[in-house]
Amino acid sequence: MLLQLNDIFKWVNSGGQRIFLLKDINLEVEEGEFISVMGPSGSGKSTLLNVIGMLDTFDEGEYNFLDESVHSLKEKHRSNLYKQYIGFVFQSYHLLDELTVKENLEMPLIYKKIKGSERKAMVADMLDRFNIVGKKDLFPAQLSGGQQQLVGVARALIANPKLILADEPTGNLNSTQGEEIMELFKQLNDEGVTIIQVTHSEKNAEYGSRIINLLDGRMV
Amino acid sequence: MLLNNLKIAWRSILKNKLFSLINVIGLSIGLCSALVIGAIIYFDFSFDTFHKDKDRIYRVTSLFKSEGDEFPNRGVAVPLMRTFREGIPGVELTAPFMNTSFSKIENKKQDLLFKDGNDAILADDAYFQLFDYEWLAGDKQTALSEPAQVVLSQKKAEKYFPHKNMTDIVGSTLLYNDSINVKVTGVVADFEKNTDLKFNEFMSLSSAKMFNGKDIATNDRWNGTSSGDQLFLRVKDESSVAGIQSRLDALAKEHKNPATWAANDERLFQLQALSDIHFGGEHEDYPFNNSDHVASMKVLKSLAFVALFLLLLGCANFINLNSAQALTRAKEIGIRKTLGSSKKQVVRQFLGETVILTTMATMLSLLMAPFLLRQFADFLPQGIDLSVLYSVKGIIGIVILVVLVSLLSGFYPAFVLSKFRPATVLKGQFTKGDKGVRLRKTLTVFQFVVAQVFVIATLLVAKQLHFVMNSDMGINTETVAYVRTPWRDASKVKKERLFFQIKDIEGLSNVSKGGAPPASNSMSSTMLSYFKDGNETHQPTEILMGDTTYLKTYGIPLLAGRERMNDSIDEYVVNETFARAIGFQDPKEVVGTVVKLDTLQIPIVGLMRDFNQRSLRSDIKPLAIKGHYNGMSFTNIHFDLGKNPEQWTKSIDAVEQALASVYPDEELEVQFMDEMVEGFYRSEKSTVQLLKWATGLAILISCMGLMGLVVYTTERRVKEIGVRKVLGANLAQLNLLLCKEFLILVGIAFAIAVPISWYLIQEWMQEFAYKTSLSWWVFMVSGVGMVVVALAVIGARTYRTANINPVESLRNE
Ligand SMILES: Nc1ncnc2c1ncn2[C@@H]1O[C@H](COP(=O)(O)OP(=O)(O)O)[C@@H](O)[C@H]1O
Ligand SMILES: [Mg+2]
Repeated sequence: MLLQLNDIFKWVNSGGQRIFLLKDINLEVEEGEFISVMGPSGSGKSTLLNVIGMLDTFDEGEYNFLDESVHSLKEKHRSNLYKQYIGFVFQSYHLLDELTVKENLEMPLIYKKIKGSERKAMVADMLDRFNIVGKKDLFPAQLSGGQQQLVGVARALIANPKLILADEPTGNLNSTQGEEIMELFKQLNDEGVTIIQVTHSEKNAEYGSRIINLLDGRMV
Repeated sequence: MLLNNLKIAWRSILKNKLFSLINVIGLSIGLCSALVIGAIIYFDFSFDTFHKDKDRIYRVTSLFKSEGDEFPNRGVAVPLMRTFREGIPGVELTAPFMNTSFSKIENKKQDLLFKDGNDAILADDAYFQLFDYEWLAGDKQTALSEPAQVVLSQKKAEKYFPHKNMTDIVGSTLLYNDSINVKVTGVVADFEKNTDLKFNEFMSLSSAKMFNGKDIATNDRWNGTSSGDQLFLRVKDESSVAGIQSRLDALAKEHKNPATWAANDERLFQLQALSDIHFGGEHEDYPFNNSDHVASMKVLKSLAFVALFLLLLGCANFINLNSAQALTRAKEIGIRKTLGSSKKQVVRQFLGETVILTTMATMLSLLMAPFLLRQFADFLPQGIDLSVLYSVKGIIGIVILVVLVSLLSGFYPAFVLSKFRPATVLKGQFTKGDKGVRLRKTLTVFQFVVAQVFVIATLLVAKQLHFVMNSDMGINTETVAYVRTPWRDASKVKKERLFFQIKDIEGLSNVSKGGAPPASNSMSSTMLSYFKDGNETHQPTEILMGDTTYLKTYGIPLLAGRERMNDSIDEYVVNETFARAIGFQDPKEVVGTVVKLDTLQIPIVGLMRDFNQRSLRSDIKPLAIKGHYNGMSFTNIHFDLGKNPEQWTKSIDAVEQALASVYPDEELEVQFMDEMVEGFYRSEKSTVQLLKWATGLAILISCMGLMGLVVYTTERRVKEIGVRKVLGANLAQLNLLLCKEFLILVGIAFAIAVPISWYLIQEWMQEFAYKTSLSWWVFMVSGVGMVVVALAVIGARTYRTANINPVESLRNE
């Protein structure tokens, strides 16, 4: 088992009132699964993904990732954990504007303190695998949305994560571009990467092996 | 429309509180310094500007040139006054006067005695024709036409004749110096505006003889010049000045000093415009004998530069912050424009905001100004205040300043903002390609260059001051003190009595009699002649007066020969510089030679070690010490307080008691050598004080600018930081990333500031004969210090930004 959420609650206090963002979430994810999270806007999909990605905290419940209990970990260990095992893909790509494609790919490796020569090899591999060798010296602004998201996925993958979290990865793309990304996810999943994606599209959700529906922070 | 504009401007100021605060404070500091310094400069330019025909009033002064040195004297030889009185073409009015003082003034009728007869002059009616006083009583035309007539200023009159009408005072008699009856012939109002003419007692010039003064009609000493003998004149018009000057040149040549030793010397008569007198001309000589302040053009210019730079720093802040903020306000402008606002209207709105902020800054700076002025009180002339800022002239000046500053600092941001195209702005594409970046970086570098130059200059000036104040001058300055006997009471008996009383005081050693201390501002010099190989050389020599213990008191050792036999023998002990100046390779050999003073043959019996006779601005000059031959007696008593400071207060009390018992009527004080040495460097001390303030303010303003820029930049990069964090960057890495670009700016500023400050300090040090080294560590310390300060400012903000949870910063989907 890759991860397990038990009775997770998350809330914020606003004007003396407790507003629940996540209510009683129970979820087990096995290695190699491909899960799609669906639900109306504001239902807590991003919040759930952030909790799984350890970017956000929760107020009640247990979260185990591999053999670690995330809820009792210190911030620093948590960030080491996700640095090592999790890759993120965003709806608006979030590439670093002033860096080239190659440099964007290199960034997570630098932060993981991987040696220069090794970094070069890994970046070259990834460029090759995603067929973007020709674009390696371009800046994000010079790419189309689909190409930018391709780089985004490549960047998420470069450090060999076990889990990819993608929050509406096709939200800013047209349908052909979206399909390409989905095909890519499918392929990665076949290679053994676990994927959790948030999507609004039934069609994209079909790529997954399981669908989770959220409504007002509760799984339905 | 205007009101609406102002209302909107005010709201957006409130909305951006932090930026507005930085803006206002930064600018108000700059403005405050500009206002205070402006008031100081205005003060010095406001002297004697109220006289009728002021542009036609001149004074004749003397300049002596000797051996490449120049000695200015604000007076002239008395016969020149006569020559001018007899008539010089182009001169409309000649008004000579002489400084004088009275030892005693008595109002017998009211049985009153006064002793402070200073600030008095001997003058004639021409003086009152030249300078227009308001006459409260008496006749301006004839008040000073006869001997034994005096005109009093109102204050003086009220003092000499309490509770009396001004008109009743005229005709009364005052008894001067025990024996001279003088009739009061007029009372004039004291000048209310700033003036250097601070005389309050005008004795008729024809009474000069009665007061042992020089008589213009008969005096023939073309080669004696006293600084109190003033020759003022009014020229017919501007074109006659050249003619008068050439007449003066001819007179100077005609009456050149015929003495053989003066063969190579030169004396010039110069015309000095009334407006120059307050600034003391090229040599920065005091305006009159009773003046306590001379304005220095050099100082005023430096002050003006400091003000200008601090003001520019404030403006740079403003431009920086506003154009940076412009981007965050791009959306607002986009919306305004889609709603139909024209470019002009946008410009107007933002200029409106600038005007409001500048006005607020001005108010704040007016509130702060008195505090800043007080910081400079130590070295500012008395009577200076900020009232000029609230006068009509001052208010007009401030309004102009506000408008200028608003335009200077508001125009660029307004212009940038107004150029935004709504389509791109609203699509959110604007954040890329920020055009103002380079300008902002340049301004930040400029700010830090200024701050850095100030820092380095302050450190080096302070280092030089420390160096000169702590250098060994070659004399004991730590434990020696002296007392000056009153010059009005020349009684030898009293001096002797005082000397023996002081000598008996426990704890004092090496009590000696003499003239001025070996290092002081007053120094008399003479020309000594020396024959060698048939040639006669003339050596200008400074003369010190002291008895045979004097050198011991000051710890000046004899290197060869012996001390003089007694206090009144014609023998010299000279210093090493003198020996070298007259040609001895080995100074010791000077002992035994004979020099000539006028007709006197004086043997040199000893050699003393060199010491600095003045501040370390000057070199050591040839010097000889002599006793009190030719009837002059010693005026001062010098003593060593000893090595035990706990004993000092007791000894000094005893000395003061002795003074009081011998001279009960006089207020005399013990003078300390270490205070005298400190006094040499008063102007350097004020320079350090001024620089410290300027530096502090410059750093403050620059750091505010930096902070604004950091806030802006980090805000813009919040998203990027979030992404990097998600990719695994840690806090240290993020902080370094954010600080780097600012530290580079500070580094560039340092590189520019070093040569500039090096050059400036080099120039400033020119006037010192003894210089401290421009050590590299001073530059390093100031550079590192600046980086630390900058890091503190930057770090506070970047740390916060780096700590933001990426979930917050990336939430936008
Ligand atoms: N820190 C927060 N404080 C208050 N409300 C929040 C916070 N984070 C998220 N929310 C609210 O929680 C709900 C779920 O948000 P989110 O997970 O982003 O929904 P979505 O399913 O659209 O991704 C939304 O109504 C959002 O406004
Ligand atoms: Mg969402």
